[in-house]
Amino acid sequence: MSLFRIFVNQLEEDDEDMSQATSKKVITREEWEKKLNAVKLRKEDMNTLVMNFLVTEGYVEAAEKFQRESGTKPEIDLATITDRMAVKKAVQNGNVEDAIEKVNDLNPEILDTNPELFFHLQQQRLIELIRQGRTEEALEFAQEELAPRGEENQAFLEELEKTVALLVFEDASTCPVKELLDISHRLKTASEVNAAILTSQSHEKDPKLPSLLKMLIWAQNQLDEKAVYPHINDLSTGQLEDPSV
Amino acid sequence: MPTTTTSAASSSSSTASASGNNSNRQADVFSRLASSDPEVKLKALREVKNQIIGNRTKKLSFLKLGAVPAIASALADADDSEKCNNILVQSAAALGSFACGFEAGVQAVLDAGVFPRLLRLLTNPDEKVVDAGARSLRMIFQSNQAPKYDFLQEKNMEFLFSLLNSENENVSGLGASIIAHACGTSVEQRVLCEAGVLEKLVILLDGSLSQREACLESLATVLKNNPEAVSDFVGLESGRHLNSVTELTKDRYPRTRLLSCLCLVVIYNTSPSYFVNMGTKSGLITTLLELLNDPGQSGDDAALGLSCLIAGKEDLQKLAYEANAIKNIVDILKTDSELQTKRLQGLFLSLAELCSKLEDCRCSFVSLQVLDLLINALRHKDADVKAAACICLRNASRSVKNLSAGRFNSDHVMLPLVQLLHDPSSSVQVAVLGALSNIVLDFSSPKSSFIEFGGIKQLIELSKSMDPDARCSALRALRNLMFLADNKRKELFISDVNAQGFACLISDPEPPVQEQALALLRNLVDGCISSIEFVFDEDGLILDTVGRQLRKGPQAHMAIQGMYVLTNVASGTELHKEAVMQQLFPQATGSENFMLKFLQSDESQLRSATVWTIINLISPSSPGAYDRHVKLRSAGIIPQLKNMVNDACLDVKIRIKTVLGQSMSFGDNY
Repeated sequence: MSLFRIFVNQLEEDDEDMSQATSKKVITREEWEKKLNAVKLRKEDMNTLVMNFLVTEGYVEAAEKFQRESGTKPEIDLATITDRMAVKKAVQNGNVEDAIEKVNDLNPEILDTNPELFFHLQQQRLIELIRQGRTEEALEFAQEELAPRGEENQAFLEELEKTVALLVFEDASTCPVKELLDISHRLKTASEVNAAILTSQSHEKDPKLPSLLKMLIWAQNQLDEKAVYPHINDLSTGQLEDPSV
Repeated sequence: MPTTTTSAASSSSSTASASGNNSNRQADVFSRLASSDPEVKLKALREVKNQIIGNRTKKLSFLKLGAVPAIASALADADDSEKCNNILVQSAAALGSFACGFEAGVQAVLDAGVFPRLLRLLTNPDEKVVDAGARSLRMIFQSNQAPKYDFLQEKNMEFLFSLLNSENENVSGLGASIIAHACGTSVEQRVLCEAGVLEKLVILLDGSLSQREACLESLATVLKNNPEAVSDFVGLESGRHLNSVTELTKDRYPRTRLLSCLCLVVIYNTSPSYFVNMGTKSGLITTLLELLNDPGQSGDDAALGLSCLIAGKEDLQKLAYEANAIKNIVDILKTDSELQTKRLQGLFLSLAELCSKLEDCRCSFVSLQVLDLLINALRHKDADVKAAACICLRNASRSVKNLSAGRFNSDHVMLPLVQLLHDPSSSVQVAVLGALSNIVLDFSSPKSSFIEFGGIKQLIELSKSMDPDARCSALRALRNLMFLADNKRKELFISDVNAQGFACLISDPEPPVQEQALALLRNLVDGCISSIEFVFDEDGLILDTVGRQLRKGPQAHMAIQGMYVLTNVASGTELHKEAVMQQLFPQATGSENFMLKFLQSDESQLRSATVWTIINLISPSSPGAYDRHVKLRSAGIIPQLKNMVNDACLDVKIRIKTVLGQSMSFGDNY
């Protein structure tokens, strides 16, 4: 009997919570700022975040200057960043052969153990040849360098066929796979190489800062269900905006 | 896209030079490799290196043209002075690339005799040279063709430890790689442990990604099947490192997760007592199951790792079953048609292990419409895949429920199985025989597609194989095929076999083969009286052979089958019974009667079989029973039976009661 009573009481309490849930707790800007100020952060942690961002993205000079001014130690040798950035830049400029040579100088294992990356670099080379109108060379290149890769792997073959389709269309703008000619494709390939180099250096390929910001947005979404409070809506400014009541 | 005549003219000329260009360029690079001008040589080396990295086709074509010896010369000719550093780096890198994942390349590099030169690069003052040397050596050591590393030589041990102690990541990684791939025997494991290799390796666990991975691989090699080594490892800093390895099974990189799992599998298989915690066991299984979905080599290795882990362990098989392993694996097999052979083998072996003891697993597996999957695997070109699929089928068909429902007896399944009996690989033969041994026990339909496909002839052929496992397995399959068989089926066998050949099998050098041959014979002479005639072919050659084998004092397993043969023969006519007596009491006396020995055996089945023979020999309905009884009594056999009235085995006790009852009817009173 007493168990039943406890159970009923529990139900009653739940009912109270439910009625409260419909009206969320309101937190004013003043209260919110007070709460935020109570959170202690270490300067060193923030410096590390900034350094991590500069290093991962490859801003060598900025990283060097930041090191001098803040005394923060970079997590990897800045010289390797220079090499890595040279590779990235070469791809972004469409000099894929040059990029390949640089990667091989940095670490010959990367392309030897990453068939997908190697294929994408070769594919980018083909795209550049097509872009320059060097059709015969492009065909020969596709035949000699890319066709064997396609034989080894079904997925590669499909991508190869898509790329070769660029040659079929007189007017590139009508081609269904024209996005391959886009500069964004170069950037995609460049990013892939960058990530592979970072991994080979045992460095994480993504900076921490974006993860923190994503966490912030997620946390705000979660909190939205329970409270009304000042949001950060513009990540680039970090400005607190009053809750709309 | 330009298609005008002008570009056509230029493109045709460029095509002409382009097609000739390639082979010209390749031939040209060789002359430049041999150039005395270091600048020219360097450029040629870089060119070859950049062409072959990542490109297996180019590696092959350069290899055929003799690039490796040419590059090896360039390396050998360069001295250790600073100005040659670039040449050292580029040639080492090129050789390393040839050796990377390419067995023919490794072979060529070793054949070129450049291995010692590469080793010397490790002591070069220039860091880049050291890196290049260490990398290429590591590639070589990942191959099975790597030179044997003699860990027992002190000099080699010192060198190995100097590598492990190095600050350079590539060099310490090389040290770990050498251990991972060259350490084979327990003596080597012990020598390494005593020299303190475990303490060195665990430092690498806290290092960079490649150091961690190299460490995990080498740990697995040093600890494998060596309880002492495992105990040393777990003892280091009170189990801290075992915890580290367990933590690494949750690492972000799949290869790290895989290698740490494989390390734990090795430790578990060697010393399971360190895994008291259920959570670790299920965690390990779940991680391996997740890794099965990894598209790269990690997935391949995970499949084999899983089969290794659960092999023979019912508790782990149950955990895996509860973690939905069967459905997951079958899904992978069904959705991905282009799986690597190693992964296919691993997946089928895992399924085989899951079905080995647990009926729930077998039923679950069969219910997932897997026959087509199995049939495709049976037709695969790789022997390991075919064998794994057969073992899987063998274990699944242990399910009496599914077997008797005829799930394995369709023509669809039977045809590829019979075809595999012709397979050149003996491991495939043994595996398919295992599967067939079970499947032929399906009595659900009167027709046997196996026999219709000419299976019996093949089994007879295989019973004459050079490989004793194949002979044994073929006979087992025949034995099962002839179990409770009608005369028609027995005829199909007997008509293709001669007594001489069969007698050879009964006296085969391998005892397991003898046992199966006798068991087959037992089934052949079981049933109606006419089937007994087979043992009398060619002047009773087969019966004589059986008798001779029994008199040799064989192991119990063989003796049991032999006695049941005699039992069945003795169930026949007067002539048959007398023939059995001839075998039991041959002219040349002096040796102790083997029946007495058998009656005193620890094996209850042997005692039982012997008593049965006696029952049939003196069954009162036959005319010569009385005389045979006299003979048995005077040979001390009936008195022996009287001592056994309280035999521990109920079956034996009951049979003895029958004999003594028969004995009394001959006027024997006590």
